[in-house]
Amino acid sequence: MKAKAVIEAAGVSLRYPDGTLALNNIDLQIQQGELAFVTGPSGSGKTSLLKLLLGMEYPTSGYVEVLGQDMNLTQASAIRKLRRRIGPVFQEFKLLKGRTVLENVILGQRFLDVPQTQMKENSLDALKKVGLEHKALSLVENLSWGEHQRVAIARAVARKPLLILADEPTGNLDKENALKILDLLASFKDNKTSVLITTHATHLMKSEYTNMIIKIDQGALEWERIG
Amino acid sequence: MKNINSNGVYFLKEAITVFRLNLLSNILSLFSIALIFFMFAMMFSGWRVSNHVAEALQTEAEINVYYNKSIGTEGALQLAGQIEGIYGVKEARLVNESEAYNRMEKILGEESKVLKVFDENPFSSYLEVKIDLEQTDLVLKGLKILPGIEHVRNNRDVLDRVRSIAGTIRIFGTMVLLAVAICTMVIVSHMIRQGIEQNKEQINTLRLLGAPEMFIGSPFLLEGLLLTLGGAAISGLAAALTIRQINFQMASTLPFMPLPSAGVLTHQMLLAIGFLGIVLGIAGSFLGLASARKS
Repeated sequence: MKAKAVIEAAGVSLRYPDGTLALNNIDLQIQQGELAFVTGPSGSGKTSLLKLLLGMEYPTSGYVEVLGQDMNLTQASAIRKLRRRIGPVFQEFKLLKGRTVLENVILGQRFLDVPQTQMKENSLDALKKVGLEHKALSLVENLSWGEHQRVAIARAVARKPLLILADEPTGNLDKENALKILDLLASFKDNKTSVLITTHATHLMKSEYTNMIIKIDQGALEWERIG
Repeated sequence: MKNINSNGVYFLKEAITVFRLNLLSNILSLFSIALIFFMFAMMFSGWRVSNHVAEALQTEAEINVYYNKSIGTEGALQLAGQIEGIYGVKEARLVNESEAYNRMEKILGEESKVLKVFDENPFSSYLEVKIDLEQTDLVLKGLKILPGIEHVRNNRDVLDRVRSIAGTIRIFGTMVLLAVAICTMVIVSHMIRQGIEQNKEQINTLRLLGAPEMFIGSPFLLEGLLLTLGGAAISGLAAALTIRQINFQMASTLPFMPLPSAGVLTHQMLLAIGFLGIVLGIAGSFLGLASARKS
């Protein structure tokens, strides 16, 4: 049976109000259960692509569909519903200060139709997977950079998303920790969940779990499937 | 709705966290709100006292009717009965010479020795007529047609002034209360808006995670309501103590002033502050949320 496409883009361009062309006529298709890396130099358009997929930007032209949702001229409420099926891992983590690790992870599920007890269970399970179960009750401001990263990942995966979008999760990490983070994100890929990771660290990508490599340069995109 | 119900405790915790994270600014806001409510409480109490005094003065409005002495006491009492039959008259009673003398003695106090100059009582008996202030003209018209009346001292100027003061107090008091209420709402909404601005990053994160606007806004609404109610509680306490003190001072220095009881006044003030706290807290918070969303 042919897998469903979770991301589909055809002839998409994104131009910012200041005239910068971030994405230039790109085509892309990522299937359910695939793991794709988006690589390219700084300012090449990687984050813009993620913003487009998360509904933070609208395409200037072309057609984009994410998890079956047409992203062109989509209403805010539909974008919000779509985001609830996505597990985003932001470059700057976006964890809430003054709250514990567990509260941050649970927060991502509070407005999903998940029962209270299930939320806690999902969160502790996700924290266990990222190796931070013992820090559940620590305040996020007391964590190290790498731990912040892992809490952000736990918050994304505890939501049991259909698509994980991770923006530069290896930025500012040494090789060993970067590898751990990539391995961790790859471990969430399964039949249902697809993973899209933007990274500079092309040398750390492992062929055993990579299905697709997407290269972006100056807004132009080319991709290749592996295996 | 389901989210709002099941997340009630979370919203409350978040409201407290948001308060705690901007502690100094929020404490200042709390005391600013308390101060505004205190001013409102004082205004409200002043307005209630003035209304009470004006009402009491109106109730006490009276005219004096001097009758022809030839009708004697019996005739005077009959005349009082006829006067009571006039529409707008509440009560008519005879004040004889000695009662009139005693009253003046009381009014003059230490200066009453001046009355000793007279060999005989200089005061004559008269009829004291309590009237409805609004019906003064009708009463005077009715008195004119009664026989045996020599002269009517109607205190027209004083009565008109009392009526005008009562009306002015009512209008001015209402306007001031309205102005303070509007100020409170604007300040509360501004504080909520500021709170939202300070937590812009958190709000943005929640939006990116797909949280509904009502879910994002609820802790801020709750924070606004708690700030307003907290401010109202502090001001209520301070105002209750102040009212008790002022009432005591006024009652001892101006014993003739018909003041309302401190207990009743405090009760009314606390009810007004509590009601206003809830209404302005909700209205101000929604206003702040709406304006922050717009911006």
